[in-house]
Amino acid sequence: MRKGLDPMKRGNGIAILMAVGLCATACSGADNTGAGSSSAPSAVAGSTAGAAGAPTSASNGGSTAADTGSNSAAGPTGSGSGTTATSSATAATHKQGGEVTIANVAGQTWSCQFNPFNPSVYQQSIGFVYEPLVYVNLLKDQAETPMLASSYTWSKDKKSIVFDIRQGVKWSDGQPFTAKDVAFTFNLMKRFPGTDLYSLWSGAGLQSAEAAGDQVTLTFAGPATTYFFNFANQVAIVPEHIFSTGAAAEHPDTWADPQPVGTGPFMVSPCSANNIQYVANPNYWQPGKPYIQKVQYPAYLDNGPANLDLATGKAQWGSQFIPSIKAFYLAKSPDNHSWSPPVSNVALYPNLDPSHAATSKLAVRQAMAMAIDRSQVALIGEGGQQPAANQSGIVLPTFEKYYDAGAVAAAGFDKPNPAKATELLASAGYSPSNPLNLSVITVTGYTDWDASLAVIKQNLAPIGINLTVEDLAQQTYNSRLYTGDFDLAYYGDVGGPTPFYELRQVLYSKNSAPIGKSASTNFERYLNPEVDKLFDSFPAADEAGQVEIIKKIGAAMIKDVPVIPITESVDWFQYNTKDIEGWPTEQDPYAQPAAYNVPDTGQVLLHLYSKSAQ
Amino acid sequence: MRYLLRRGGFFLLTLWAALTLNFFIPRFMPGSPLDALRIRTKDKLSTEALAQMLTAFGFKPNENIFVQYWDYLGHMLTGQWGISIGGTLGQPVSEIVMHALPWTLGLVGVTTVIAFLLGSLIGVLAGWRRGGKLDSVLPPIFVITSALPYFWVGLLLILVFSVWTNGWLPSDFNYDTSLQPSFSWEFIGSVLQHAVLPAATILITSIGGWILTMRNNMITTLAEDYVRMGRAKGLSGWRVMTTYAGRNAFLPNLSGFAMSLGFVISGSILVEYVFNYPGLGYLLYNSVVGTDYPVMQVLFMLFTVAVLFALIACDVAIAWLDPRARTEG
Repeated sequence: MRKGLDPMKRGNGIAILMAVGLCATACSGADNTGAGSSSAPSAVAGSTAGAAGAPTSASNGGSTAADTGSNSAAGPTGSGSGTTATSSATAATHKQGGEVTIANVAGQTWSCQFNPFNPSVYQQSIGFVYEPLVYVNLLKDQAETPMLASSYTWSKDKKSIVFDIRQGVKWSDGQPFTAKDVAFTFNLMKRFPGTDLYSLWSGAGLQSAEAAGDQVTLTFAGPATTYFFNFANQVAIVPEHIFSTGAAAEHPDTWADPQPVGTGPFMVSPCSANNIQYVANPNYWQPGKPYIQKVQYPAYLDNGPANLDLATGKAQWGSQFIPSIKAFYLAKSPDNHSWSPPVSNVALYPNLDPSHAATSKLAVRQAMAMAIDRSQVALIGEGGQQPAANQSGIVLPTFEKYYDAGAVAAAGFDKPNPAKATELLASAGYSPSNPLNLSVITVTGYTDWDASLAVIKQNLAPIGINLTVEDLAQQTYNSRLYTGDFDLAYYGDVGGPTPFYELRQVLYSKNSAPIGKSASTNFERYLNPEVDKLFDSFPAADEAGQVEIIKKIGAAMIKDVPVIPITESVDWFQYNTKDIEGWPTEQDPYAQPAAYNVPDTGQVLLHLYSKSAQ
Repeated sequence: MRYLLRRGGFFLLTLWAALTLNFFIPRFMPGSPLDALRIRTKDKLSTEALAQMLTAFGFKPNENIFVQYWDYLGHMLTGQWGISIGGTLGQPVSEIVMHALPWTLGLVGVTTVIAFLLGSLIGVLAGWRRGGKLDSVLPPIFVITSALPYFWVGLLLILVFSVWTNGWLPSDFNYDTSLQPSFSWEFIGSVLQHAVLPAATILITSIGGWILTMRNNMITTLAEDYVRMGRAKGLSGWRVMTTYAGRNAFLPNLSGFAMSLGFVISGSILVEYVFNYPGLGYLLYNSVVGTDYPVMQVLFMLFTVAVLFALIACDVAIAWLDPRARTEG
């Protein structure tokens, strides 16, 4: 830097000044793509910052929380008039006090809106502030806990249902909760289709919702038992006196609802962009509950810091994947635990449309299903944190009673069989010397899926399939998946309280669409009228009949191999027992444990208690 | 006067061109807000209801694109920025921007000013003692640091000061989430502590430019006759350095500074992203990922307007300082 510039005359300084200004003006039309300035960003890099440190502050763990004492006579939990009321093992009551911090990565700061009809924010309101009529536990064979409805009765033809609305419940602003609120909520969804998130009026055939005395009757066009999970468990009841006045009445679908009034165990106080604090509702209808008096819900933008807070115990309730969890989390403290129950499948979706000659051939799909070593994928790709799936698509052990182990074994899908797979592929005209080239689409940044697909690629190479992995940006991946622009797609769907929900999404022909059109969930474009009939007959069947139907659908999964389940996706859940107890566990799975499940969060919050407050 | 009118016309033309690009380019991206919402809700909810909801929030994909464009232009100018249809579905865009803006202004703005002042000072000193110890050490170092990528420096700082030291300095977010925003020392301290690493990243990578230009300007100016004259008059070295050489060498840097202030508002996307700092840059990243057209549009518009305003301020300053600009145009 010793090289000096030619001495300039004085006026030249101004010339430089002008040149800079002009150049900048000329460049500025090109938006902010950063010409010349040292502070202009030029591109957005793809990878996140994995390494991260912890903000070291005073611990806000439960041990320091205020003890409000046992000011209320702790009564029995719930009421006895339930239909199939399942009292989980925690019948004992606890003293109130303590605080729990949730680490559930949202990837953005909070908007402090709590409208239970807004799918971007309802995770933070349903379960905490708003409650459903009946809680249905997916993990315990649809065990029901009566909430705002103390009981219900189906009509004989299963076309209408009468709910007995619980008495003595108050909204958190002191107004009484009545059957009218329930009817109002359902009728609101008719008037504003944007709030009908589960298509009750447009899809499920809901005809009317009427309140009479303490009862509410919902009438459907056909047998509606399969929609019970949605209308009784997922729909949160809102107060008529709030949602029928002012801005909320005009636009209940877009209303912000910054100060939610609900029947639930918690109230919001206060909310900031970085943290939502919930305080216990002193007039909650279950006497003595909730035990925990405060819930902190910080906004995490990235998994790294959230996982670090979990490892240090600063947050006690975790809900995302922790890589190498043993070393990073479990080994850090004997109080750190993890339990991640499987709920649905991650599967290879072959394109069944005839335009895709190879993947629409049954032998090719059978060969792939046989060649892939699912337990190896689970172990290497998912680090052993997800179990291997099976070809019948029934998630184990969650839905054990619908599983037909004999059928899976009889078809030869119970363990990998490369020899048989090579044979099958040869019958379709491909072999290691004349390999089949296929590509599979996945999402950039899903590193566990990349690892899984690497194992699958290795499994398929010896039998004569060359797999190319296409890592796509989320948006591109979505549109190609929805419109059927793929050979194979790696995708994880969502489940429900029985395998019916997941299998119906994946296999029902009405959820499909022609190639080029957006399909709702049947992305592989499976069309089998017999299977459709099975789905149609399910709602009217009795319980034993329903199990039989699901077993038959599982048999179709084995026979037609419409999708190839690889691993079972789980509910990510980590919990710390230093001060907080009452978590759902493998022995007592009273609710889905991850903090992103509505309304299961409400059940967990009602069970948690602080050890130091006892 | 004619000069200023011409600049004003150019300003409006550039603004219109930028707004038009801001409208059309995001819509050429793959994906749609509905697809993004479906993925976020994991296909659990009815697609029709989600589409209805997006419509209620002002997303009208089936409307004629030119009608949409016309509405968009009107809304940008009147400040009716609409409602987010991405990850922050339902939140008014103005509210989102107002939450993020102070953090970006505070972090990137203050850091830019510090980098400018500090860089210019070092440049003056280095240029004054050309070939001295300071001059042979600092400029070469800063040539290297100014060429380093932001995100790499950021990751390195996180590794050294946060991971290796077991969380000595926070590497993420704007303040400790267990605190409530207030004018307490605890809160302000937390904000400052969280700003140290991202600020250091911006400082390290941007200060080099100021040092180098200032040093070179200084060397050029020192060769001027009036500096020699000042020395001949027997003025003190300090006086010659500051009021004779430094003051004149400072001018070209000042216009560069005005420009860089325009870029402050767009933040440092990569720095905010690496440090999960919830400013405008992070917001832009999130809105692109969530195909959030309303937020994207407003952010691009603000970035454009900020740069254009900085430039026009620069132009006015030139017109004021340099009579030739007024006459020649």
